[in-house]
Amino acid sequence: MSDSTATRAANGAVSAVSTRSGVGITLDSVSKIYPGQQAPAVEDFSMSVRPGELVMFVGPSGCGKTTTMKMINRIIEPSSGSIAIDGRDVLSLDPNELRRHIGYVIQQIGLFPHMTIAENIAVVPRLLGWSKQKTADRIDELLTTVQLDPGTFAARYPKQLSGGQQQRVGVARALAADPPVMLMDEPFGATDPITREKLQAEFLRLQESIGKTIIFVTHDFDEAIRLGDRIAVLSDRSQIEQFDTPASILSNPANDYVSSFIGQGAALKRLALIPITDARLKAATGASGVPTVVADASLRDALDALVLAGLPAIDVVDGGRAVGSITIDAISEALGAEVPGMPPAGA
Amino acid sequence: MNGFDLQGLLTFWSRRGDDVLELAVQHIAVVALSVLLATVIGVLVGIAVWNRPMPRSLTIAAAGVALTIPSLALLALLTPVFGLGWTPTVISLIFYSLLPIVRNTVVGLREVSPAIMESAKGMGMSPTKILFSIQLPIAWPIILTGVRVAAQLTIGIAAIAAYVAGPGLGQMIFQGLSSLGSKNALNFALSGTLGVVILALLIDGAFVFITRVTTSRGLRV
Amino acid sequence: MMTVVTTETELLSTKAPVPPAKHRIFTLRRFTTPIVVAVILGLLLWWVSSLQLDSIEQRTLNWQYIARRTGEHLSLTVVASALVAVLAIPLGVITAKSPSKVFRAVVLALANIGQATPAVGVVILLAILWQTGYTTALVALVIYAFLPVLRNTMIGIDQVDANVRESARGMGMTPMQVLTRIELPLAVPVILAGLRTALVFCVGVATIATFINAGGLGDMIVNGLKLQRYPVLVVGAVLVACIALLIDWVAGFIEDIVTPRGL
Repeated sequence: MSDSTATRAANGAVSAVSTRSGVGITLDSVSKIYPGQQAPAVEDFSMSVRPGELVMFVGPSGCGKTTTMKMINRIIEPSSGSIAIDGRDVLSLDPNELRRHIGYVIQQIGLFPHMTIAENIAVVPRLLGWSKQKTADRIDELLTTVQLDPGTFAARYPKQLSGGQQQRVGVARALAADPPVMLMDEPFGATDPITREKLQAEFLRLQESIGKTIIFVTHDFDEAIRLGDRIAVLSDRSQIEQFDTPASILSNPANDYVSSFIGQGAALKRLALIPITDARLKAATGASGVPTVVADASLRDALDALVLAGLPAIDVVDGGRAVGSITIDAISEALGAEVPGMPPAGA
Repeated sequence: MNGFDLQGLLTFWSRRGDDVLELAVQHIAVVALSVLLATVIGVLVGIAVWNRPMPRSLTIAAAGVALTIPSLALLALLTPVFGLGWTPTVISLIFYSLLPIVRNTVVGLREVSPAIMESAKGMGMSPTKILFSIQLPIAWPIILTGVRVAAQLTIGIAAIAAYVAGPGLGQMIFQGLSSLGSKNALNFALSGTLGVVILALLIDGAFVFITRVTTSRGLRV
Repeated sequence: MMTVVTTETELLSTKAPVPPAKHRIFTLRRFTTPIVVAVILGLLLWWVSSLQLDSIEQRTLNWQYIARRTGEHLSLTVVASALVAVLAIPLGVITAKSPSKVFRAVVLALANIGQATPAVGVVILLAILWQTGYTTALVALVIYAFLPVLRNTMIGIDQVDANVRESARGMGMTPMQVLTRIELPLAVPVILAGLRTALVFCVGVATIATFINAGGLGDMIVNGLKLQRYPVLVVGAVLVACIALLIDWVAGFIEDIVTPRGL
């Protein structure tokens, strides 16, 4: 399956973290029926995930999103259908061997309390027979990547860490053997909003450099929009209501169910995804003593600043220098320009 | 009514110090042997039944029955078959130790949190590996408590075993009984009893130490 | 001696959730123990009646003798347990609620030393220091069974969730009301577990009471051993074991009935 990829990645020890190493996942008509229950938990689920893609499964509690995810590494065995990772049928592999090549992060983390942080991270590498040196290097590397100083944290025990720190260790542990696929079940769910924000930002940065194929389950639609390359909006029995990019879902919800997830303010949410540089900037006004917005912010930040200033246009600043100004018209136009076929607003 | 004579007691000890010591050593030996064997048997049984409801409840019920039977009765019942002395003593001590050890092993293994079990499984550990690398180390403090409890239990029962010629300080206590009326009766009984009390406290302290030393630092409360 | 054992393991078992089955009191499973005991006693009777008893054995293995010993045994057990309940539970409550750390520490220390003391030692020491006979045995039993009940009462009250206590006070209950309406009912399972342990102890130590002429079924065991009369020994031992099992079963039964619903 991912043996060649994993070994290749693992052999390039120094830059292992930054190797683009994802592989594709295919689910074909996968179902799960629990004995004694009439309705299946997952019914006829089919999906194709591209290598390096971060797919979010969003849906209400009990819709089957977690069950579907857990069938990929066979924590839950499918009743029917097939699942393939990198073209290899998952059901034909030894489950333990399969799982050693899939990163798995659950909401309650499940760090082993009797092992140090370093020992926790070293579990899968040791199961795979890595040398002590390679494992030790990898541990240092991973801890640095998740912003925990190895010198301080490697020898500590889970109970000595805060919730947010434990979460990061959980992610580091899942990355230890550099698996091409990761399954994450509400990994940031148990933290407070502030910590969660930080973790999400770090996670985005991480994914940018390592490019793994990730299935990420969440019930928080905003988290899905923020993190995902594509989002699968799921309903009962894990039915796919819509499977598309965040921008497409926001601008073109497939049905009322998906709309209810988006809730109010769809346009504003879309604005958060579009960088200012996508809009048509006019000449800088050069006004001083009024709010400005930086060039690498999103259109929503620009709108926020405009509303605050109460001016028709505010300057966009890059490196301390005003490079242009932005108006509400330009913002609406950029929003309109996102969706082909819609008349540009306020043109 | 026999009065308590401190001077007499001290003289008694100075003359029979060696005897007392030897009996104390025997006492520890028989308890240690029995508890050790019971731990091996008990932990193995616990590992075998912890996740199988039917055998589990059967085993715990059986071990519970053992604990309810009065020790003198059990000792006596064993004598026609096993004679007197060490054998029936060790057998009954093992018998009594099994409940705390098996029960604590089962509870300890079951109490490992589901999140830990699932992430271990998700990482690709086989059930056996999970049992030995994750569950047993985490359950160890609980198991050790069971062993400690068994040790305290058997220290007392070993004293009764002296009646069937079992080794240890119980012999001194019974000597006190059989010499009832003589001036040394009290000294015998008191020395035997005090000796057992001191042994029990010492062994309990030893267990506190052993628990500290063998428990992972990440688990200590 | 058995204090810590059964305290901790009983504590472990009372912490396990009880399934809220409707008629869980009167199921077949519940009567397993008495049925098994009945079968054992039946077998015993059948075995004994098939033996040719010599004169010594005949003097012991008859209904009158057995009934009297059993009566003595049960009387010791029940009276001692009742005394223990009356003495140890209030003391346990007082100690648990006592603001004085020194007092609690002293009581707990005494309890610890007490639990390390072998029952046979207590029995024989009392006999030497005082006298032999029924009363001494009773006192020894009370002393010995005191500790599990005391300890369990203290633990039972302490383990009432602090949040529950706080909301009770917050509703305006006086400390006494909190004690009687909240803490004690919640502590009942643990206290009862301690009483059950005490009862079983009493049966066991009453067996040893034979050494100080207090009667009881221990007489049969000891006589059987001394005179090398196997049947007498077996009957005495099996009988006392059966009594212990039955009493434990009855105590468990009462425990289930008296425990407040919802616990």
